[in-house]
Amino acid sequence: MSAGLVGRLRQPLPARVDLAEALAGSWAGLGAKDLARRPARLGGKAVPLGELFDLTGTPAGRIRFEGDLAAADRIGAGLSEGEVVVDGSVGDGTGLGMSGGSIDVRGDAGARTGGAADDARRGMTGGELLVRGSTGPEPGTRMRRGLLVVAGDIAEHAGPGMIAGTVIVFGSAGRAPGRWSKRGSIVALGRVEIPPTYRYACTYQPDHIRLTLLRLRARYDIMVDDRYVSGFYHRYSGDLADLGRGEILAWTAE
Amino acid sequence: MKIRGVLIEDTFAEAFTMRVARLIITGRSVRWAREATLKLTGFATSVIGCKCEAAIERELGADETPDGRPGFSVLFMTMSKDDLPKRLIERVGQTVLTCPTTACFDGLPDAPDRVGVGSALRFFGDGFQASKVIGGERFWRVPVMEGEFLVQEKFGMVKGVGGGNFLMLARSADAALEAAEAAVDAMSGRTGVILPFPGGVVRSGSKVGSRRIKSMIASTNDAFCPTLRAVTDTQLPEGVNSVLEIVINGTDAESIAAAMRAGIDAACREGVVAITAGNYGGKLGPHHFHLRKIMSGAPA
Repeated sequence: MSAGLVGRLRQPLPARVDLAEALAGSWAGLGAKDLARRPARLGGKAVPLGELFDLTGTPAGRIRFEGDLAAADRIGAGLSEGEVVVDGSVGDGTGLGMSGGSIDVRGDAGARTGGAADDARRGMTGGELLVRGSTGPEPGTRMRRGLLVVAGDIAEHAGPGMIAGTVIVFGSAGRAPGRWSKRGSIVALGRVEIPPTYRYACTYQPDHIRLTLLRLRARYDIMVDDRYVSGFYHRYSGDLADLGRGEILAWTAE
Repeated sequence: MKIRGVLIEDTFAEAFTMRVARLIITGRSVRWAREATLKLTGFATSVIGCKCEAAIERELGADETPDGRPGFSVLFMTMSKDDLPKRLIERVGQTVLTCPTTACFDGLPDAPDRVGVGSALRFFGDGFQASKVIGGERFWRVPVMEGEFLVQEKFGMVKGVGGGNFLMLARSADAALEAAEAAVDAMSGRTGVILPFPGGVVRSGSKVGSRRIKSMIASTNDAFCPTLRAVTDTQLPEGVNSVLEIVINGTDAESIAAAMRAGIDAACREGVVAITAGNYGGKLGPHHFHLRKIMSGAPA
């Protein structure tokens, strides 16, 4: 099986780069040359993606980015298909408004990961976004559907305005998670501060969490401890300042 | 053809195309997974009276199920594709949703035809239900007094085969039962095959229609009833005093043929005179399982 495309950063980024258009829409069938013609914005100036990355390989619905991309924003914005792997940390807005496919960030991610564009009513509407490190503030903003997994910590404000979908955080969920959530699920396996607009419902073993965590193990080879898979969770309903059909599921060792 | 002295008659089993779903029922323990599964597959021996045919395909270890809990796979079959979702919704709703700790998953994820099950059962949640898309599949979380019932929204449906069969003609009731038990043991737990009758065995094989009552669609197979040997057109060889039948349904003809081969071989034992099969002259069912071909190892 082909390993797909590989994009190696040609040289360290001299300024922030916006990769919002690199993988938006249909891209999985594109060859390296075609993808290299897609636009990026380096320091506000349009440049072909191929000027920043040495793109090689054959199309197989997968692309792996290599190099220090901590200054690269909006990787996988508008993603609708295929598998994206980033070998390292990324900037802000990764997976912004993505609707399908998967992004696997093998490092940290900046603010608004899996979030929404400023003028968009919805953030993620599908797909799976995995950050193996930590994220900045406001991941999963206005998420409508899909899965965002943070293996490390969330700085603050997880899932603001979530319409639905799921955010799973293995580390600290940060301050004020789930504000204005309508139907979203925030699954906190580590420390979490329950906002005052959430109300305790019960302690139970949610089957869908078991199913999701087992899928993460199988699909992404993430180490998920059995105590999370088969453990108990406190369920808090909220945000009661909004529709109140969302939830924070906080794992408990009890 | 004879196997260990048992005559394999030169005839065939005539079987029909049916619609099949595979359900994976899991629970916190084998006990509760089994409870739900037995209720789900209860009273599902024949479409003649039960509207569906279903049975346990095999027990699944925790490492074989979507949610990592022990479970059972079930094949669930109806004659028409319209009937399948109706019967599934009725039965899953009454037997799995109601059973403590269980969840219900699709066991045919690659089947292009999908029927809604969780999509209907969610309404039991009275507006409090919620869905999650996990790995591209939608699941419904239905709030129940125990906690939540998790059920997949859609289940795969494929064409299968129902009505594979063979009959064991024995010198005594004990010999027939021993042969049947041996056959069932040899045929159980195979992927793609179920034996929908009690313990896998039928004592009341039927013929189409009735001699006396026009409205009956099936009645006793008098040609194989030992007590009627003297008063009907019997098909029983001399010395036969009891007959038992095994009906085999499956996802495909090859699986059924392989199961029949194992079952017939196990049934060829002391006290059995002959093995035969039920058919309707080959005019009703498109699938014909020729006993001698099967036992000689030829493809079905």
